[in-house]
Amino acid sequence: MSALLEIEDLRVTFRTRYGEVTALDSVSMHVNEGETLGVVGESGCGKSITALSVMGLIPSPPGKIAGGSIRLNGEELTTASPARLRAMRGPDAAMIFQEPMTSLNPVFTVGDQIAEAIMLHQKVDKAQALKDAVALLDRVGIPSPETRAKDYPHQLSGGMRQRVMIAMAVSCRPKVLIADEPTTALDVTVQAQIFDLLNEIQRDFGVAIILITHDMGAISEMADRVAVMYAGRVIEDASADDVLDYPQHPYARGLIDCIPALGRDDHRLAEIPGVVPPLHLLGQGCAFADRCAFKQDRCTREKPLLGSHGHHPVACHGIEEARL
Amino acid sequence: MSVLMDVRDLTVRFALPKPSFFAERPHLEAVRQVSFQLEAGKALGIVGESGSGKTTTAMAAIRLTKAAGGQVLFEGDDLLELDDEAMRQRRRDVQLIFQDPYSSLNPRARVVDIVREPMDLMEIGTPEERHAKVEELFALVGLRPDQLNLFPHQFSGGQRQRISIARALTTNPKLLVCDEPVSALDVAIQAQILNLLAELKEKLGLSYLFISHDLGVVRHVCDEVAVMYLGKIVESGPTSALFEAPQHPYTQALLSAAPSLARRKSKGYVRPLKVSGDPPSPINPPPGCAFAERCPRAQDVCRKTPPDLVPGAGTAVACHYPGPADTI
Repeated sequence: MSALLEIEDLRVTFRTRYGEVTALDSVSMHVNEGETLGVVGESGCGKSITALSVMGLIPSPPGKIAGGSIRLNGEELTTASPARLRAMRGPDAAMIFQEPMTSLNPVFTVGDQIAEAIMLHQKVDKAQALKDAVALLDRVGIPSPETRAKDYPHQLSGGMRQRVMIAMAVSCRPKVLIADEPTTALDVTVQAQIFDLLNEIQRDFGVAIILITHDMGAISEMADRVAVMYAGRVIEDASADDVLDYPQHPYARGLIDCIPALGRDDHRLAEIPGVVPPLHLLGQGCAFADRCAFKQDRCTREKPLLGSHGHHPVACHGIEEARL
Repeated sequence: MSVLMDVRDLTVRFALPKPSFFAERPHLEAVRQVSFQLEAGKALGIVGESGSGKTTTAMAAIRLTKAAGGQVLFEGDDLLELDDEAMRQRRRDVQLIFQDPYSSLNPRARVVDIVREPMDLMEIGTPEERHAKVEELFALVGLRPDQLNLFPHQFSGGQRQRISIARALTTNPKLLVCDEPVSALDVAIQAQILNLLAELKEKLGLSYLFISHDLGVVRHVCDEVAVMYLGKIVESGPTSALFEAPQHPYTQALLSAAPSLARRKSKGYVRPLKVSGDPPSPINPPPGCAFAERCPRAQDVCRKTPPDLVPGAGTAVACHYPGPADTI
């Protein structure tokens, strides 16, 4: 079976005052129909840029897709026209963002905003679109949806707003739903509700989900497969169980060990020393080398490639050599 | 162990806008009769969702927000009764670390001046002694001496939080109030700061009032935990008892809502306990238990009578029907 969404060797650059900076460097990942891919990493590692590239939303200039391909259902998106991308957003791919208050328009009712998306992509009149919007609000678990559809975003709680975003995103039955840190702004009990809702939506609509998060706990509960990113590259790519139980890359292992997990009473947390290097200062070698306890000479000279060295694909010279 | 801070029936009210000119001004009770004790050298965690009153409780306890009632005994003195000068002197014993290290450091000041400022204000030591103290604290929190003359924007988030910690330690405080000190940081950096806080507690014998919404973090750092919901403590007790045998359904819901590495999608996990909806508004709190609307155990009495916080075997619980999670 071929993948629903395939990203191959994607390279995205941004013009900055430090010169041209490579934000994504040969990023490859894929999502199969109906599964959830978790993309995990620290701020600035390129998670959101990957998502925006798929949606054709990289601000250009200063950004541009400098190479590689993104294929959705076999269709190349990197060379698609703006009109085609506009038609694609909604029925093919949809996205929900971190802060629902800033992604909703404050001067229109939520019902109108959902209906607008429906009317853009389906040949229905306003009355029918509004009816569909109410049905969608009901579907995402908003109580008394007829009344709520007439509310403005500021009248809803954070969790309700994120439900509205999800209703809007699934209104055109997308094949891929990208959720970019959908619960970061929400409380933990509401986060649990949104996660459960996303899983339900996936079951009912068969939509593939790309969940972008920095939380390995969220990955564990939501993802079938995981791509771990660091400084604009994918450094480990495998099933969620493989990454969580047998993390290969020292960074992936660090991300899991440094969580003060419930039900684990470590006296001292494992920590990853230092910080992510700024993208314009990346050298020849592995971007993680300076923070890595297993650094060798080769790591500072040569970028490791994502290759299968034993258990599952990982980009690390140390793992590679241990398997030789 | 001696009790450092004993908070009794602390209440905070905020005024709301008048609905009309002649109407009486309505009030919102953000913190309702909260009592807790913090032992010297220990860390007390306050957990809850946004709007539950965690920060307001801590701010009122150290008199940065005006309390409407109650007592805060700090080494025997009631902080709420002290006159301004006595309170100013007391402030050197109580320092703060904030959530956002980007907005809590003055962007126009060099970090050496930022860290020294509390000593200047409190007139502690000679200028040379102050400078030596800043250098000592820099080393203590893991910053290099050559970074002394830089500006805040030249540091990463984790380093800025180290600067905030150094600044808080200049007056040799006994109590450090940490308001979500790691929630603005990346996970890998969180671990660095949490380890630093644990080290400092050990080395300097500090006490922490630690506010967080992250249960994992609280479990790691704190000796005692109080769970707040709509301005009240619903359950409190030793960390191990609260996490291993929570009695209040809200505590249980919080624990089951936190994303956990132990629950796997591949294994078809089912969240053991779900709560629906959002917390009620503190402007018009329900007459009974505030959690009743979302509670799987709620009976008629819960909607009418608010439960009191009653000490039990492990934790103290404010619930008409407390018990282990599996009895629901």
